[in-house]
Amino acid sequence: MPDIYLVGVGGQGIITASKIIGDAALLAGKNVLLSETHGMAQRGGSVVCTARIGDVHSPLIPAGKVDVILSFELLETARAACNASKRTIVISSTERIVPLSVSSRKLKYPTLEEVRASVMQSAKDFIAVDAMMLAEEEGVKMSTNVVMVGALAGTGITGLQRDHFEKAIKMNIQSKQEENLAAFGKGFGETAKASNAWQSLKTG
Amino acid sequence: MERILEATPGSKVLLLGNEAIARAALEAGVSVATTYPGTPASEIGDALARVAKDAGIYFEYSTNEMVATEFAIGAATSGVRALVSMKHVGVNVAADALITFAYTGTRGGFVLVTADDPSCHSSQNEQDNRYYALLAGLPLLEPSNPQECYEMTKQAFELSEKLELPVIVRTTTRVSHVRGPVTVGEIVKGRKKMEFVKDPSRFVTVPAVARERHLVLLEKLREAEGLAEISKFNEVHRIGKNGKRGIITSSAGSNYAMDSVHSLGIEVDVLKLGFSHPLPSKLVGDFLKSHEVALVVEELEPILENAVRALAQRRSLKTTIIGKSDGALPRAHEFDQNIVEAAILKAFGINGEATNVPMIQGGLPGRPPVLCAGCPHGATYFAVNKAVGKKAIFASDIGCYTLGVAPPYSTADLLICMGSSVGTAGGLAMVNDAPVIAFIGDSTFFHAGIPGLINAVHHGHKFLLMILDNRTTAMTGHQPHPGSAVGPSCCDITAVSIEDIVKGCGVKWLRVVDPYDIKTTTETVKEAVTQEGVSVIIARRECILLARRDKTGVMAKKPHIDQTICNKCRTCVDKFQCPAISSIDKVQSIDETSCAGCGVCTQICPSKAIKEGK
Repeated sequence: MPDIYLVGVGGQGIITASKIIGDAALLAGKNVLLSETHGMAQRGGSVVCTARIGDVHSPLIPAGKVDVILSFELLETARAACNASKRTIVISSTERIVPLSVSSRKLKYPTLEEVRASVMQSAKDFIAVDAMMLAEEEGVKMSTNVVMVGALAGTGITGLQRDHFEKAIKMNIQSKQEENLAAFGKGFGETAKASNAWQSLKTG
Repeated sequence: MERILEATPGSKVLLLGNEAIARAALEAGVSVATTYPGTPASEIGDALARVAKDAGIYFEYSTNEMVATEFAIGAATSGVRALVSMKHVGVNVAADALITFAYTGTRGGFVLVTADDPSCHSSQNEQDNRYYALLAGLPLLEPSNPQECYEMTKQAFELSEKLELPVIVRTTTRVSHVRGPVTVGEIVKGRKKMEFVKDPSRFVTVPAVARERHLVLLEKLREAEGLAEISKFNEVHRIGKNGKRGIITSSAGSNYAMDSVHSLGIEVDVLKLGFSHPLPSKLVGDFLKSHEVALVVEELEPILENAVRALAQRRSLKTTIIGKSDGALPRAHEFDQNIVEAAILKAFGINGEATNVPMIQGGLPGRPPVLCAGCPHGATYFAVNKAVGKKAIFASDIGCYTLGVAPPYSTADLLICMGSSVGTAGGLAMVNDAPVIAFIGDSTFFHAGIPGLINAVHHGHKFLLMILDNRTTAMTGHQPHPGSAVGPSCCDITAVSIEDIVKGCGVKWLRVVDPYDIKTTTETVKEAVTQEGVSVIIARRECILLARRDKTGVMAKKPHIDQTICNKCRTCVDKFQCPAISSIDKVQSIDETSCAGCGVCTQICPSKAIKEGK
C-alpha cells in the first residue's frame, strides 16, 4: 500500500502522471486516492500531488509515511526532502527549471550532488533519472512525466504490473501513444536495475 | 474520450470529485447547468461544458454567480432540474438570490454546489459556506470523497424535489480535487421544455408573500430534519468495543479522523454526518448520551460543535464535548492526519505520540507562481512601471494578473474581491494625491466591474482603469466569457464588446493598446493619468498559453542575447520578469524551450543586446 508524493513545477504534466498511476491501480483492482494542485499554483509554481494506493480515507500522506518521492525537477526534489524518512525511495528527474528567485535574488541553484546528499540524510535511497534525454530519445520531448512514471513502475514498489501502467497510459494520452509507451519503457529500465539490487540485498 | 459521459453503468472509474458531481447531475436528468469558474469548483462546469451537446443538456458559463443562480432558478421553478456550481466566495455574489429562493422554493430539483477552500490554496479567504445553509435555511450535504460527491449530488436532486427546496452540496479543495474510484449508474435525459405554472402567491416575494413563505420554509426544515435522521449519509462506525469515546465529524475532517483512528489503533465510535443541516438532533443527541466524551472534528468554523453543545444543553446531557472552543483543534486552515491524531490523543487522554511534522527546508530558492513567459500582463506592468514609476497606487483584482504583486512590478496595493479594483480605485483617488490605477481582467470586468465603472463616471472619480483583456478566463483554466467568440459545446453565442460597454457607461477617454508594443502602451498610460475623470485603457492580447497552443501571434524565431553587446545592466531580470530569462553567474540568457517568442524583451533592452531570431 505505497504512498507516493509527486512534486515538480506547474506545467510539467504531474497531474497526468498521477492519473496514470491512479488508473493503473484501479485496473489492478486496488483502491486509490489522488490529490491534485489546480488553479493559481499551476502558473510555474511548485506543485505537489499525492497518490495513495490502498484502503485509506484521506488523500494526504501523513508525516513520516511517504514511501516514494517522485520528483520531476531537481530543486523541487531538494524542497521535498523534508518529507523523506527511512522508508522513502527518492526518484528524481535531473531536469533543472531555474526559478526567478535564482536570477533576481541571486540565490544558488543546488547541484545534483548537493541534492543527493540532502536527500540521503533521511531517505533510504536516491535514484537520478535523466528524463529529458530519455524522452527526447523517443521523440517525445514533452513526455518527461511518462518517463518518470516508468521509473516509478520499474522499482516494483507500487505492486502494480507493467501492463496496468501501459493500459493506463493509453487511457490518458491520446497522441503518439507508441512513442510514449517507449518513453515509459526507458524510465522503467532505469530503475528496474536498482530494484533488482534491492531484491538481491533482501534475499542475500 | 469524455470519461464522465462514456463510463458504462455499473463500472468503477477514476473521477475527480468535481467530475463525479457532473456525472451525478447527468444521471439525475439535469436539464440546465450553470457556473462561473473558480478554483476549486471549475472542473464541474468544464466537464459539463465539454459534454453538453452530446448529453443533450443546456450549459453556460454565466457572467457571474448571481446570474448563474438566477438563470437556474428560472428553469427550476418551471419544473426542470438545474445544477449551479461555484467556489465559496461565488456564493457571496449569489447570496441575494439564494436566500430569498429558499422562501419560494423550487419545483424541479435545484442543487447548488459550493466548493470551499480551507487554507486558501487558490482564494482570497477561507470562509465556511456551511453558514449559508444556516443563513438561508437550506438542507446541506457534505461529501468527503468522489464516490460521495456522486451519491450525494444524485440524492440532492431527489431531496430538493421532495422538499421543494434548493439543496446545497458543499465540498472543499480536498474533496473536489481528489481523484478516486466512483461506481457510476445510468445517464437519464432531462426534459428540455416545461410550462411555467403561474403562482404569484408563492413566487412573487412581496412582503405579504414573504412573511407567509418564511413560515413555509421553517416547516420544511422540520421535515428536512426528519429526513436527516434516517439518511444513509449519517452513520455510526463502531471501531472496537469501547462505547465511551465518540467522534462526531463531517467532510474532509472525517477522512483524517478515520485514518487517525486506524493508525493509532484505538477503539472509538465515529458518527459521520453527510446530511448535516438541519442537524439530526435525535441521532446526534442519542450518540452524545451513550458516550462519555465526544470530540468534534470539522475543518474551519465550529458549526457542528456549537450545534452539538446547544443540543447537549437542551437535553441536559453530561457528555464532555471537545473541539475548537477548548483549543483541541484549530479554527484556521485545513487539517491533516497529524493534527487530528494529536487532538484524538488529547481528547481521550490516551498516552501516545503524534508524529512530528517536518519543517520545510530553508535556504532553497523559492518558486512562487509567476506570470508566464510571454504573458501580456507582464508587458503591461513593465510599461506601467515605466510610465508612472512606483508612486502610483494600484488597485488590483482577481485573476492571473494579481501575480503582479511581486517584484519587480509591485503593481498590486489593494485587493479584496471580484470587481473591487474599480470600486476601491474611486475611494483611493478621492483621498490620495498620488495617481490611482485599477487593473481588472476581461472576465472579471464582465463579472463585477461594470457597476463600479458606472459609479465612477457618474460621480466623476479620477483614476485610470486598465482592462487587461487576454480574451479568456485564464487563471481557472481558459473558460470563455461574454467577450469570447466561442462558447461551450451546446450553444451559439454572441461576443459582447468591451469597448461598447465602456462607452455605454459614459467613459469619454478610451484607448485600446497592444501590450506587446511597450512604447505605445507606456505613452498611452502617461497620457491617461493626466485626464480628468475616469480614463480607460484596454490592453488587449491573447493569453500566451492559448497563443502557444494555437501557434498564433508568436515569433517563429525566438530572441537571443548577443553577449558581445550585453553590458550586464540586468534590466531584463531586475525590471522585466520573464521565466525564460535567467541570470546565472552574472550572465543573462534566454531559454529557448520556455521562451514564447513574444519579442517584448527585444524592446526593453537598453543596449539592444536582445535580438530577434538567430
